[in-house]
Amino acid sequence: MKVFLAALLFAAIAAVGVSTLLNTIQQPSSVAFTTGGARVGDPGHNLVGPS
Amino acid sequence: MPSSSSTVKAVLGKASMLKAACAGIALLFVLAHPASAQLSFKPTAESVQEDQLLKGLKEGDRITGRISIPDAMAASLIQPAGRDWRDFQRSKLPIIGGVAILGMVAVLALFLIIRGRIRLDHGFSGRKILRFAAFERFTHWLTASCFVILALSGLNISFGRSLLLPLLGADGFAAMSAYAKLAHNYLAFPFMFGLVVMFLIWIKDNIPERLDLVWLKQGGGLFTRGSHVQARRFNAGQKGVFWIVIVGGSLMSLSGWFLLFPYIPANVTALQFWTVIHAVVAMLFIAAMLAHIYIGSVGMEGAFEAMGTGEVDINLAKEHHSLWVQEELAKGRLPSASTARSVPAE
Repeated sequence: MKVFLAALLFAAIAAVGVSTLLNTIQQPSSVAFTTGGARVGDPGHNLVGPS
Repeated sequence: MPSSSSTVKAVLGKASMLKAACAGIALLFVLAHPASAQLSFKPTAESVQEDQLLKGLKEGDRITGRISIPDAMAASLIQPAGRDWRDFQRSKLPIIGGVAILGMVAVLALFLIIRGRIRLDHGFSGRKILRFAAFERFTHWLTASCFVILALSGLNISFGRSLLLPLLGADGFAAMSAYAKLAHNYLAFPFMFGLVVMFLIWIKDNIPERLDLVWLKQGGGLFTRGSHVQARRFNAGQKGVFWIVIVGGSLMSLSGWFLLFPYIPANVTALQFWTVIHAVVAMLFIAAMLAHIYIGSVGMEGAFEAMGTGEVDINLAKEHHSLWVQEELAKGRLPSASTARSVPAE
């Protein structure tokens, strides 16, 4: 049981860690895929991301 | 010198003559062309219709434009192959998945009814032998727990709208799907990590050999009571599961990587190809793992303990992995007295 719980804990920590890492090194799509002239001020919480 | 009023009258007179001349020319045009000819030019009817355009485009064709934003894929304006891809996702894929998964459940249920639970011929001895070390079990459960979440959140994409939306309602289903997608995206990484470790620690025991052919010819002894086939640490059935996991997991990882980072292929057609690979392999993978879960729990008495506590009864090990037990005993790894139950709980 301890091994099983340790595996679950590791999976959760790894998932959160990767999420944090990717959010750090990647730009939101609303920024990465637009040019300065076409960028909207705040896309809001829609499909292109929260910020 | 003419007065100002006479000058105005002269100008107005010339203007009215000019109007009359224009009207006359227009009348000549009308009389020269019949009414039907005037109505033959219909801009909306003569322009390219969408259906004709899409029918005219062949497989692989697409209409592209020139863009200045960094997303190269946005340059594809029309791609008829996208309709085939959408039809596949909506109609064919659920059928493939339904047949594979429900079919496997039906086969397993039938097997359980006909064959029953595979029991130990000589019962539990009360002596245990270590089958899997803690690190091996950790790797198994890491990969397995991620797989379960990935499978459920993936199936939600194909079947959630039909099965869960009526139960949860639009808001509930949307919230659940959003969290499921996040879990799917990020638990993919520990799954891939577990897959690599699993490959490294178990590859040496999963190389196919001549002994496996004997096991396969006799159906692993699964269909006949009291008959067992010799095997080393993993029998041919377990080796099959190992390679299904490695090959299936690798295909899922590769295709999933392109879906996680779509700017790597940066090609709509390639992305559609990888989504199809991801979805079809996932359905088959899930069906195969149902069989693995069945035989490791309900299907075979005492089998779950191998991944539960790491130790199995020596009689189970002898019946299914006789050559491995001999190797372990030769190494001096003797069975230990059990502290757990020595007879079946049921």
